[in-house]
Amino acid sequence: MDEGTSQYYFTASMDSGKTLCSLLKAIQFQETAVFCALPEGLKLTVEEGKCVQASAYVPSDNFTEYHVRDDVDVMFKISIAVLAECLNIFGSGEESSLKMYYRGEGSPLLLVLQPQSVNNVMTDCEIATQTADSVLELRDEDAEEVAKLVLKAPAFLGLLADLERSCEVFELNLSPEHPNVSIVTYGMQDRSCIDMPKSSDMVQSFSCESPVTLRYQLQHIRTIMKALAISTKVVLRCSSNGLMLLQLKLEKEDQRQMFSEFYIVPLLDD
Amino acid sequence: MKFRAVMIDAGPMREFSNVVTIISKLSKECVLRLSDDLIYFIVSEENSGPSPPILWCEIPQAMICSEYQLIGLDEEHKDIYLALNSGNLARSLVTLKTAKSLKMKLTKKQCPCLTLEIESPCTVSQQTRQVTHDIPVTVVPRKLWSDFHEPRVPDPDISIELPPLKQLRTTIDRMKTMASEVVIRASAEGRLTLQIKTDMAKVSTRFKGLRVEAFGGPIEHSDSETETQINEDMSRVCYCRVDAKKLSMFLSAEQISTNSTVCSIVHKKLVILCLQTDENIKLQCFISGIVY
Repeated sequence: MDEGTSQYYFTASMDSGKTLCSLLKAIQFQETAVFCALPEGLKLTVEEGKCVQASAYVPSDNFTEYHVRDDVDVMFKISIAVLAECLNIFGSGEESSLKMYYRGEGSPLLLVLQPQSVNNVMTDCEIATQTADSVLELRDEDAEEVAKLVLKAPAFLGLLADLERSCEVFELNLSPEHPNVSIVTYGMQDRSCIDMPKSSDMVQSFSCESPVTLRYQLQHIRTIMKALAISTKVVLRCSSNGLMLLQLKLEKEDQRQMFSEFYIVPLLDD
Repeated sequence: MKFRAVMIDAGPMREFSNVVTIISKLSKECVLRLSDDLIYFIVSEENSGPSPPILWCEIPQAMICSEYQLIGLDEEHKDIYLALNSGNLARSLVTLKTAKSLKMKLTKKQCPCLTLEIESPCTVSQQTRQVTHDIPVTVVPRKLWSDFHEPRVPDPDISIELPPLKQLRTTIDRMKTMASEVVIRASAEGRLTLQIKTDMAKVSTRFKGLRVEAFGGPIEHSDSETETQINEDMSRVCYCRVDAKKLSMFLSAEQISTNSTVCSIVHKKLVILCLQTDENIKLQCFISGIVY
């Protein structure tokens, strides 16, 4: 820890902010996000009502430099739309290096961007930050996991895109018996059903001990579509209280990984 | 009155079509002024009556036309001013990029028309096809000519070379999603800065090492309004706040292959973007400053 960086709560740099930007856009269904710099990496969380919580994870090994002060919590609220626009300031065709600085509570998040192909230009951004409200803790340690599926992301995206948009209810039936996975949607006048046995190409692994039926709002399920579009693999977990957790692994050229994660609260039975 | 012109070279025809496309994006109406040496396109701000033009384009006819014939009203009024719908003209010229030749003439049909005859090659045989467009025009009467004079602008405080327009436009486009106004700041040391400020963010993109063509300074700043920058002599910096959307629109001129693009700033009042192509087509855009 040298003198230069120690006065900052958080500093980080990376060679290209492009992947980070597309990850942010994937969870950008609300205006503001909670930005949290943890020793193990960066986490941005977006919440819709108390029903959907999406997080983007960027493990610290994605950064060429990453430093968080260990005696303070680095957590603040920030406009995710503005952050994404700033990261993209030189356009999506341009790889640009990124440096981030956060001096301390109440100070703006500073970004310095420099395109790799031209060297006479740079951009610096000061993005206002606000004190963060607490992030919902949706995970219930007591609720056990009742099912776990590993699916191919592009195929699952195709499936979700096929569902009738106007439907409100997304019902997920999981069972150890054939057809293992059955997705039923209910709309005003229609009901449609998609069966997906575990032998299907898009199912990479399937575990479920006893039959379970869970219902979600389709609109909530749809929030993951942008993230699916840039991911390779999705792990879907359901716990006994109905909470669905989707973990998506981002498609990346290098070995270092980035993730997004969605918690979706089930519909209550009438 | 008589006007007739022919173009046969691919390069100039493409540029001509590009220029017209840009004009059609900026405004529905434009004025085409034909004079002995130059063809002018003049765009005034829409819905604001007679006002100084926002775009002024000069095309030396000899550079792009192989034949050019013009007879005006009389010896003293040699020029012809035609008001026309720029969209009509742009759409008619779409095929010009692959055409063999273009003939333009002023004709009298049900109404005065600018008639374009475009000869296009046929892909399978030696034959060509010819398409004729009649674009209705209004001949601008002599007493209104003065509305379309070249704008007299105060001497710019600085003229500085612009970075590649495409790069500039991408950045402006990102900025305009965050703010409606952008401040352009140029220094005599060859730095150009684009800056937006909102409640949410302050973003500055800085270009350096740009050629300064002229500097009229020193610039007088009243202390209250300028942020002092470390190591920067403010008397050598001038700036102007402009509408981000307008600036972005003008930068759509990126598709013209320019050999020089220069940004001139009249401190706090006016930004002039001047593009010049290899054919000596000169395109000037005037963006007035926003002052509170």
